[in-house]
Amino acid sequence: MGLILLTKRSLLSRFSEVLKGVFAGKSVEYISVELRELENVFALIILGSFIGLPSPPTTISLRLLPYMGRELLVMTRISERLDDMLGEMAGLFDIT
Amino acid sequence: MTPNKANYIIRFFLGKGGVGKTTTAAAYALKMAMKGFQTYIVSLDPAHNLGDVLDTELSDEPKKVYENLWAIEVNYEKMIKNHLKQLSEKIKDIYGYLKIFNLEKYVDVLRHSPGVEEQASLDKIIEIIRNYGEKNKADIIVFDTPPTGLTLRIMALPTISLIWIDKLMELRLAILERRRAITKITGEEYEVEIGGKKLKIPVDAAEDPIYKELLNLKSEYDWIYNILTDPNKTLIALVINPEMLPILEAYRAYKFLSKIGIHTEYIILNKVLIVRSVPEELKPKINEQNKAIEEARKLFINKIFTEIPYLPKEPRGIDDLKDIITYIENIS
Repeated sequence: MGLILLTKRSLLSRFSEVLKGVFAGKSVEYISVELRELENVFALIILGSFIGLPSPPTTISLRLLPYMGRELLVMTRISERLDDMLGEMAGLFDIT
Repeated sequence: MTPNKANYIIRFFLGKGGVGKTTTAAAYALKMAMKGFQTYIVSLDPAHNLGDVLDTELSDEPKKVYENLWAIEVNYEKMIKNHLKQLSEKIKDIYGYLKIFNLEKYVDVLRHSPGVEEQASLDKIIEIIRNYGEKNKADIIVFDTPPTGLTLRIMALPTISLIWIDKLMELRLAILERRRAITKITGEEYEVEIGGKKLKIPVDAAEDPIYKELLNLKSEYDWIYNILTDPNKTLIALVINPEMLPILEAYRAYKFLSKIGIHTEYIILNKVLIVRSVPEELKPKINEQNKAIEEARKLFINKIFTEIPYLPKEPRGIDDLKDIITYIENIS
């Protein structure tokens, strides 16, 4: 009896761990998308003048530019996939 | 307020092209130098004529033109070159490993970017305040400015930049907050692959180079903003002629400067026609002038006014400037 209870408990804790993992994975996925979009917006604001957006005074852009490797990469990747953003969003929310 | 070594003051002479900014600024600087104050007069106008007014050749280095009086004509080409050089050095420092060849060649094109001229001028103003004001060399720094439009853009730059910096810092913190959330959930460091290299990405403001650079920019702009908007330190003297167009332009400048927190204290009415017995042909002109003066006094209420007559001879050299001093006694 005791053994069955122990197995049940360990099964339950295993199940909750799996559940936690799934939720954590999903949360990371959502936050990552949000983060990526914020990084993209940051890069767009700094380099806005290239696409006709108002941008900060040139010196601010130039002073930040050397540190923006990551943001530029994100911006480039997003711009490559811009024609299928709807599909990407649908994938994120498991809409098939 | 009375200037002294520990508390230097700054005066900007501003107005439409041709109203007599340089002459009045030079006369004021001479007046203060004659009172014993260490005075630096700096021409920021790309089309300099401070040297012509003082009747001597000037350069980028201060030249003693009278007892206690030094004059500088800012070299615009050199100023923009220096500004771009500093930027390119910074870019080279960081991208050096990528072996970007002939970087200067590409950076050079930046001189044509909108805003570079204003930023370079602001950098020069900062450099002069740091070198002569903060280092206790000057009691008074007098800036003879370019015509109104460019000057206003230079003066607005710290305010505009601070607005941008604040917004960018807000956005940056939002980015860092999300990166931190991810590391907290995964329990791992935040790493990405850039150019085939695994790089650790900063998650805290204290280690984020972009946030740190924004903080640097903020403190630099805050410093100059506080100096320019402190009425105990910086005041504007608007130079106008007794005609409606310069008065209206000066009024717009005054409104704009007030909006960004810069204090205008003096209105200098230059080239006022004073004729004892007015000939018939001049009567309409004198009437117009009186109307314009009346309008100026209405627009610039509570400001200190001073009038300089239309002089029979164009003032050139120290001796001629001494004759103007009597008219600007109330400008301190």
